[in-house]
Amino acid sequence: MINVLLLIFVGFAGGIAVGSGFVAFLTVLGIVPRVMQLSKTYRFIRSYEWSVILGAVLGGWVNLRSTTFQLSPYLTIVIGLFSGVFIGMLAAALTEVLNVLPILAKRIGFRDKLLVILMAIVLGKVAGSLFHWIIYVKL
Amino acid sequence: MERSSVYIRMRQKVRVVLHQGVRLEEIAQLAGPAKTVKALQKAVIHVVKPEDKHLIVIDIMTVVKRIQDILPGCEVQTIGPAQSILEIMYEPKKLNTLFFILVWLLLFIGAAVAIMNFHEDVSMQVVHQKIYQLITGEFRQQPLMLQIPYSIGLGLGMVLFFNHVFKKRLNEEPSPLEVEMFKYQQDLDQYVIIHENKESEQKQKQKVSDD
Repeated sequence: MINVLLLIFVGFAGGIAVGSGFVAFLTVLGIVPRVMQLSKTYRFIRSYEWSVILGAVLGGWVNLRSTTFQLSPYLTIVIGLFSGVFIGMLAAALTEVLNVLPILAKRIGFRDKLLVILMAIVLGKVAGSLFHWIIYVKL
Repeated sequence: MERSSVYIRMRQKVRVVLHQGVRLEEIAQLAGPAKTVKALQKAVIHVVKPEDKHLIVIDIMTVVKRIQDILPGCEVQTIGPAQSILEIMYEPKKLNTLFFILVWLLLFIGAAVAIMNFHEDVSMQVVHQKIYQLITGEFRQQPLMLQIPYSIGLGLGMVLFFNHVFKKRLNEEPSPLEVEMFKYQQDLDQYVIIHENKESEQKQKQKVSDD
C-alpha cells in the first residue's frame, strides 16, 4: 500500500515539474502571444491556455498507453502540418531569443537583404527535414 | 542686449556625410522668439572629419556652449535627449555577391543540419511512427504521409512567426524580428552615447591642452 502511495506521489511530482517546465518554456518563447497577434484573437487567451494544457495531457496519455484508433492515414497529413507549424514557430522563436539575425545583419551589412537571409534558414530547415525523413533514416 | 531664451530638443539620430558642416537645425529642434531661432539655426556645430570614423556624439553641453558664444546671456531650456548621435554615411560598399552566396549557403546548410540534429535528439522518427500507429493502427517504418506535411509546416511556422510570406507582409504590426533589430540598435546607441561621448570629451581636453 505504501509503495502505491509513494509511486503516485513520485509520478505526480514528476508531472508537476515537467508540466510547469513546459509552460515556462512556451511562455519564454512567446509563441501563443505571437499567434494571437497574427490572428487578432486576444480575447480567447483563456481557451488557448486550455488548448495547450489539454494537448499536453492528451499527448502524454496516448504516448504512455498504446492506444490506437482505426482512422484514415490521411488524417496524419493534418497532424503533420500542424505539428510542423508549431515546431517551426518554436525554432523561429529560439533563433530570435538568441539574437542571431540582428547581429548578423548588422555585422555583415546585409540589412536590406534580411529577408533573403531569413529564407535561407527557412528553406534550410525544410530541406534538412525532408532529407532526414526520406533519405537519412534509411542510411 | 535684450534677454532671449530658446527651447532646444536634440534629435536622437542624424545622418550626415563627410566634410558636412552640421548645422544646429539639423541636430536639434529649436523653439523660441523668431529672431533668436533665426540667429541660431544656421550655426555650424561640428564639421565632419575623416577621423570621426562612423559615429559622432554631440553632447548638449557642446550645443549650449556654442549658443552662448553666439548669443551671450541667452537662456537655453533643454528638453529630451541630452545628446544626438551623428551617423556618417559613406558611399555604400558594393555588396559582394560571392560573399553573400557563401553566407546564404552557410545558413542554409547550418539550418538543415541543425533541424536533423534536433530530430535525432528528440527521437522524432519514433514519435512520428507512434503517431502514425495511433491514428491508423498499423506500423510503418517511414510514415511519410505525416512527415512531409510536417516538413512543409516547419517552414510555414517560421515564416508565420516572422510575419513574412516572402515579400508580402501578413499585417502591419512589426514582426518580432523587426522589434528585435530595433532593440539591438537601441542598445548599440546607448553604448555609443556613453562610450563615444567620453572619448570626444577626452579629445577636446587634449585639444585645449595643446592650445
